[in-house]
Amino acid sequence: MTHRFRRGLDIAMDGTPEQVLARGNAVETVAVFGGDYPRMRTEVLVAPGDDVARGDPLIRDRKHPEIMITAPASGRIATVEIGPRRHLSMLSINCSGNSARSFSRPQAPTRDSVASLCQACGLWSGFVERPFGRIPAPDAAPDAIFVTAMESAPLSADAAVVIRFRRKLFHAGLRAVRYLTDGKVFVCQGPVADLVEAGTPVRVERFAGAHPVGLPGTHIDRLYPVERGGTVWQIHYQDVIALGSVMSEGVLPETRVVALAGPGVQRPRLIEAPEGAALDDLLRGELLGGQMRVVSGSPLSGSEASHLRRGDHQISVLRRARPRKPARRRWPGHATEPRPAPVVPTLALGRSLGPDLPVVPLIRALSAGDVETADRLGCRALLEEDLALATYAAGGAQDFGMLLRRALDMLEQQP
Amino acid sequence: MIRGLWTPDTVGWLLVAAGAPVAVAMILDQGPDGLIRLALGLAVVAAWQSLFRFNMGVMPAPASAITALAVAVMAPHEVPLWQIGFAVSFGAVVGELIFGGWGRNFLNASAVALSFLSLSVPNADFVAGDAGLALAVVPGAIMLALTGILPISILAAFATALWVAAMALGLTPQILAAPGTLVFAVVFLVADPVASAATPLGRWVQGALAGAFTAFLMTGTSVPQAVVFAALLAGLFAPLVDQGIIALHLRWRRVRHARP
Repeated sequence: MTHRFRRGLDIAMDGTPEQVLARGNAVETVAVFGGDYPRMRTEVLVAPGDDVARGDPLIRDRKHPEIMITAPASGRIATVEIGPRRHLSMLSINCSGNSARSFSRPQAPTRDSVASLCQACGLWSGFVERPFGRIPAPDAAPDAIFVTAMESAPLSADAAVVIRFRRKLFHAGLRAVRYLTDGKVFVCQGPVADLVEAGTPVRVERFAGAHPVGLPGTHIDRLYPVERGGTVWQIHYQDVIALGSVMSEGVLPETRVVALAGPGVQRPRLIEAPEGAALDDLLRGELLGGQMRVVSGSPLSGSEASHLRRGDHQISVLRRARPRKPARRRWPGHATEPRPAPVVPTLALGRSLGPDLPVVPLIRALSAGDVETADRLGCRALLEEDLALATYAAGGAQDFGMLLRRALDMLEQQP
Repeated sequence: MIRGLWTPDTVGWLLVAAGAPVAVAMILDQGPDGLIRLALGLAVVAAWQSLFRFNMGVMPAPASAITALAVAVMAPHEVPLWQIGFAVSFGAVVGELIFGGWGRNFLNASAVALSFLSLSVPNADFVAGDAGLALAVVPGAIMLALTGILPISILAAFATALWVAAMALGLTPQILAAPGTLVFAVVFLVADPVASAATPLGRWVQGALAGAFTAFLMTGTSVPQAVVFAALLAGLFAPLVDQGIIALHLRWRRVRHARP
């Protein structure tokens, strides 16, 4: 059935990608960032100079040693940087060759065999558990799994194009995901022809509307809200395709499909690039002149980065605005720090949230640090990405996603 | 990464821009007296804002200029300047600054200032304002509505409730007697983007409350005073209305998404 999403904002931007798939530049380095796995206690399994194949384990979680993060490309480990509290900061690989570790596929798949395969091949980290947005525990079983088969963020790829291109792998992945829950598996797609063949044991839901209609938070809120109990997992369709590749061919796919777009790109289009690819390599010869910011992720929720970050499937090249004067200038002779800017409710702010929650009261509670009220108003239904549009609509005066993360961390630690 | 335009400062400046034609119309109408009152009000607001900036870290907000404008537009002509300064001070400090400045206030500072003035000079009538003033409000109101700053739901609910209640009480002709300040007060006092209810449905309720209060208060006082007090009263009820609507919304969600 089609769900019409009536809120949301259309953000017009130059440089929307042409939905054609091209081979991207060759990539010389790929990197894995510990910051993409904030709750994982990382244990690095390789040292600089080691040769790794695609799919070889690089990191594991000390708390759950079965959960691996694996190499996105084959090559030689170049650097391993450890940050505060022995947390991995960055691990980079100089790419060479095309060797891949092959994973043994379960003959008769069960929940446990599929889960251990996901954990071994590194795709377990593609699942995000709600509420709180963590990588699920190895033995967890969700009430439902949401496969996000659409994108609505500005400059994003059309999921239908990518999925049609890798239809078989997507279906193999869906059948594997099916084993991981006794509840429903929802495939949320845009208002296009079915991306899933009839007979696949999943439920297809169509969503139509403006951004954030394509965010899993919006889908989960319509179909299986979890702020009052229960857990669901969400997974991106490209992770499902990767899982399908492991299930049917035994190896991780070489590349993901990434939308290379934005006002600073010569030919905005979709390219194939390995996970964690160095953006310098991918963008060589692709940029227009002038000062640019290279963002991994969407223009709303991404971050300036040197490499493609985990879970990001777009590269947005934005014009670098003239450096702003410090908006809150210090007044002469006085040291009192200015307070953060207030939240002013506008129509745009009221339309910016996917889940049907009282937006302005919720954002005011988050902004005031009132975790109890934020919880009562349903902040457990949200993750950072769901508030990116609200941050945009409020002019970026405060980063609501960061405030939400602080509140969620506090709620998660409560008994 | 990218940011929208609607920072608090942008919204504040747009409010000021919407008030500018009103200021011009007011000065044309009242002459140098009007200009002096507006300048005094602005100076007082600026003085309080710098005091709070220096001592409390409350950032000055352009939107507070509307308080000075509202007092200059609506205050009775016979009120001495020192009382104007006093009323603006009360509105700026008690209505806004002690809560952390514009954007964190829960009452409209102009409504607070004018209610204060009305209580301190009970015998003088607020300026009624002619159709020219009403026309000067319109372009700003349209601009604010198109930019999503002015809650149209409040305007619609206010107009409907006022009309219905005035019909019921037999007061319709009186409404038309003071079109200028009525339109001004609805746009700048009742339909305040910050201090009005924060839920969409709550805005309808608050607008309707303000309209109905205006009609009832008109039985005892002039239209401008009635609408000022109605704005204040409806603003006081806004948090309660919001709480009720949020409670209903959460209950409805719980029922809709009930799982065994």
